[in-house]
Amino acid sequence: MQYDTIIIGGGISALSAAVYCGRFQLKTLVIGEKIGGNIILTESISNYPGFKKISGMDLFDKIKEHALEYKIDLVGGKVDKVKKVNDYFEVSAKEKVYKVKAIIFATGTDWRKLDVPGEKKFANKGVHYCALCDGAFYKNKAIGVVGGSDSAAKEALLLSEYVKKVYIIYRKGRIRAEPIILKRVQENQNIEIIYDTNVVEIKGNKFVNSIMMDKPYRGSKELKLDGLFVAIGRTPISDIAKSIAVRTNKKGEIITDKNTGATNIKGVYACGDVADNKFKQAITAVAGGVIAANSVYRFIKNEMPVLGSSEDS
Amino acid sequence: MPNVTVYSTPTCPWCHRLKDYLKKNNVEFEDKDVSMDDVARDEMVEKTGQMGVPVIVIEGHDPIIGFDQEAIKDALNL
Repeated sequence: MQYDTIIIGGGISALSAAVYCGRFQLKTLVIGEKIGGNIILTESISNYPGFKKISGMDLFDKIKEHALEYKIDLVGGKVDKVKKVNDYFEVSAKEKVYKVKAIIFATGTDWRKLDVPGEKKFANKGVHYCALCDGAFYKNKAIGVVGGSDSAAKEALLLSEYVKKVYIIYRKGRIRAEPIILKRVQENQNIEIIYDTNVVEIKGNKFVNSIMMDKPYRGSKELKLDGLFVAIGRTPISDIAKSIAVRTNKKGEIITDKNTGATNIKGVYACGDVADNKFKQAITAVAGGVIAANSVYRFIKNEMPVLGSSEDS
Repeated sequence: MPNVTVYSTPTCPWCHRLKDYLKKNNVEFEDKDVSMDDVARDEMVEKTGQMGVPVIVIEGHDPIIGFDQEAIKDALNL
């Protein structure tokens, strides 16, 4: 199958781009490693206009269903490589090579890693990134939460419902949580906060049994723990874009033109959380996808898209 | 159809997606909630040596960790 464009990513931004590419009758392939994206980790969304309250999963499913109304292809899988050849791109995925004129990167973000010895070795063996998913394994155990943001504090509160003890380990001196969340953390008997401290190593045999810190806490740099939840934010997935010289900012976000989603490379567009837009919301990710799709159409057809009737606009 | 067991927690979004996917493809499976069922939790850890959910065990295949749609598709010939 010959495609005009490939959208890399499987979240709401990618699928929104697909809705518009489909309507513009571009031959479109969406390849996403995680069909659903990060939005499905959000239990309840109340700021997406048109829906007073909707779960991330339901919102995603609605957008996906909408995209599949059109003749687009959606597959789960990883893009291995992208190569720029003259005025087209070769996208290698699932043991196939696709030649396309334009690419939309809607690759989103991944959990930011601590990057300390033991983190990789003990992934899912005591080191976790999603309290909602894996918290249940630590009933009556002692665990640590690394990070000091509002989401780290929320993770700690959630985990405190299952576990015996939660240590929040934060490199700075003050937790940056919403006041109401902070109060709950401070009043929670199961939560203890270790300030101004970094985790430098994760240790264990088969599973994690302790961490090393750069400062002693209660007389020891080693803290016995059964699990460690890393909640230090997210990092853009832009390595493949970078491999074809797409410019990124210090955070690794793809630098885009806000009116078009265009990057510094002709024919390459970006949208959603991987792009450098400041206000990252479900609705802005969707808008970004739509804008990128419109730009791809204009780029490929060298014209403005004409939408059928007023109900389409 | 081989025996299929899913180890999951009620709050894990990827577990829901995995189960929805199986239902959509008319795959019958046993769902074990590792947040409530301690025996199932130990069984899963023993089988996979790890504590991430979801896990799907398809008779005759190695356990699949996470919602790896492609691997599941292959193992079940969907």
